[in-house]
Amino acid sequence: MSDHSIFLGAVAYDPKVVTIWEGLRDYFRDAGVPLDFALFSNYERQVETLLRGHIDVAWNTPLAHVQVKLRTSGQSLSLGMRDTDCGFRSKVVVRKDAGLRHLTDLRNVTLAVGSRDSVQARILPLYHLQKEGLDLSRQRLLKFDTDLGKHGDTGTSELDVLAALHDGRAQAGTVGDLVWVTEQSAGRVDASKIEVLWTTPAFNHCMFDALPGLAPEKAAAFQHALFAMRWDQPAHRRLLELEGLREWVQPREEGYQDLFAALESDLP
Amino acid sequence: MTTPGAASTGAVAIEGGDLPLGGGLLALVRPALDLLEPGGVLAVLSLSPAVAQDLPAWCRLERHQYLGSEPLPDGRTRHLVERGTHSVPQGPRDGSISLPRRAGRLAVPMPEHADPSTGFAPRGARVEPGGPVYPFSLLDRDRVAPPEVSQLYDQAVASQWDATRDIPWDKVKPLPPALEQALGQIMTFLAENELSALYVPSRFLPRIHPAYVEVAMFLASQLADEARHIDVFLKRARAGGGGLGVSSVTTSQSLLSLLQLEDFTEAAFLLSVLGEGTFLDLLRYIERYAPDEPTAELTRRARLDEARHVHFGLAHTKHALSHDPTLYGRLEAAVRRRAATLSNAGGVPAPIQDSLTILAAGGADPPSVARGHQAFRELLETMHEQRVKRLLTGGFTPKQAQAISDLHTPNFM
Repeated sequence: MSDHSIFLGAVAYDPKVVTIWEGLRDYFRDAGVPLDFALFSNYERQVETLLRGHIDVAWNTPLAHVQVKLRTSGQSLSLGMRDTDCGFRSKVVVRKDAGLRHLTDLRNVTLAVGSRDSVQARILPLYHLQKEGLDLSRQRLLKFDTDLGKHGDTGTSELDVLAALHDGRAQAGTVGDLVWVTEQSAGRVDASKIEVLWTTPAFNHCMFDALPGLAPEKAAAFQHALFAMRWDQPAHRRLLELEGLREWVQPREEGYQDLFAALESDLP
Repeated sequence: MTTPGAASTGAVAIEGGDLPLGGGLLALVRPALDLLEPGGVLAVLSLSPAVAQDLPAWCRLERHQYLGSEPLPDGRTRHLVERGTHSVPQGPRDGSISLPRRAGRLAVPMPEHADPSTGFAPRGARVEPGGPVYPFSLLDRDRVAPPEVSQLYDQAVASQWDATRDIPWDKVKPLPPALEQALGQIMTFLAENELSALYVPSRFLPRIHPAYVEVAMFLASQLADEARHIDVFLKRARAGGGGLGVSSVTTSQSLLSLLQLEDFTEAAFLLSVLGEGTFLDLLRYIERYAPDEPTAELTRRARLDEARHVHFGLAHTKHALSHDPTLYGRLEAAVRRRAATLSNAGGVPAPIQDSLTILAAGGADPPSVARGHQAFRELLETMHEQRVKRLLTGGFTPKQAQAISDLHTPNFM
């Protein structure tokens, strides 16, 4: 392995991750940026491996990104993110027959939530509901702690939340906005049964993280090749579709403040 | 969220009633956005409060810009969405309205060059960019599509017939054994050659870019014709009890050399202009000396179909030659190469030569056979003269035409 190559870590939350990173590795190679990757089974291991300097770049969830920032005293490098990672929001979705009109009505019903390491399906919606005055210590929660370690990447716990709402095990639930509109867009939501009640403020999602010591020319080459991918190119498009974006964008740090605060508070 | 003054920018408005986003509203929003260019603004009028939360999220997913909303005096909310720049279908809109009439159904003209990444999109459809590249290799109009192709396709569709229903099979009567055997041999030979005419064009069909779909459609009609001919010739061989005859090595070698052609224009020239052209004279000869009405009728019908194939082959070749004069030399070279691979063949395969003689004689008695032999010699002369005429029509010089005709396969096809 050449010293010039970039060693990247990603979490294998789905078999398609192999397809994505083998495709991106070939794309980077063709763009003159040798890159190899290692797949991790969970973000905690990936973050530790990055912090020990065994990989150059980690493709991180917002939770992993914030952990890296905290562990490096804010010195870590942010290299890029997906267009979809900006302006993320969570939704409080409710059963129409539950008669819920305001967030305060939630205190009398069961609230379904996603995995405890899912930023969009649990951490941030609960943080914001608490800020809005909901007493979480007395809230009846239906928790779907599936795929722990994947930080909600699989979306399984969000689909569990929607299923619980459809079949009446819960009257309200929290999901990320992309899952919510994707399921609606695909016709998999029964609009006569469930609807959105509330939307959280925006936050940012995944990020390519690196340690402060990453060679500047490596960081620049990585970013240059990354931002050159084009949706209208068939070979690129397949990879972008699989990874859920249309274009890679410059890193934006401003959307993680609520997550820092949420990790400081005591959430169920 | 309200954007002051934004209402005036709404170029297109849709009435969403109380439809939620996931309850049918998208079926109105998506087609309406599709009518806009990037940057165009759609106003969505809605009574559903949930739309205010779901529409911005959907816009984020689809990379449209949610500009904001404002309440209207009647209780509805006006949401404004700016169409994004991703996945905008390319190409002019085909808004043409025309009644289904012959040779005019596809109003958008064929492009000079076709783009392999438009795949199977019908010509005139707007194509979303980023699609995969298809392995079509015939991408130039002037190498693929002569101007007459639509009319020829229409003729083909109007001229289809039924090998069972349209031939008076009840009029097949017992023939003298020598004549029955000769007829079986001729029908065997015709069916074998028509099998090659079924397989050779089919190799090129998947290479034709769908922008020139009329050519693919014409070839499909040609394949259907060949299938019917194979059927009708085999029916005739068996109808009188004579059965099938011999397949000779000369025929087999000649047809293999057609199947191995890799160039569409060379194949159209060798198969349709020279081969099927020569078959027109052969079929006319069989029709003239046919011992009964069913044989005359089926060869007449097959000849009319073949004339259409010759017409297409000639139109294709002439069109290509008019755009690329170097093609004359290349086609002549293709004929010479083929002749070289068939140089071991002595002449017209003996079984077919003898059978055509007996057919024209109408029996096996020597005086009739002498007349039959003379008729066969005249057939060869006619075939040569007609080939030269077709080649001159195609724009070849008299010298080239003579040489090419002389080099043509003794197998006729």
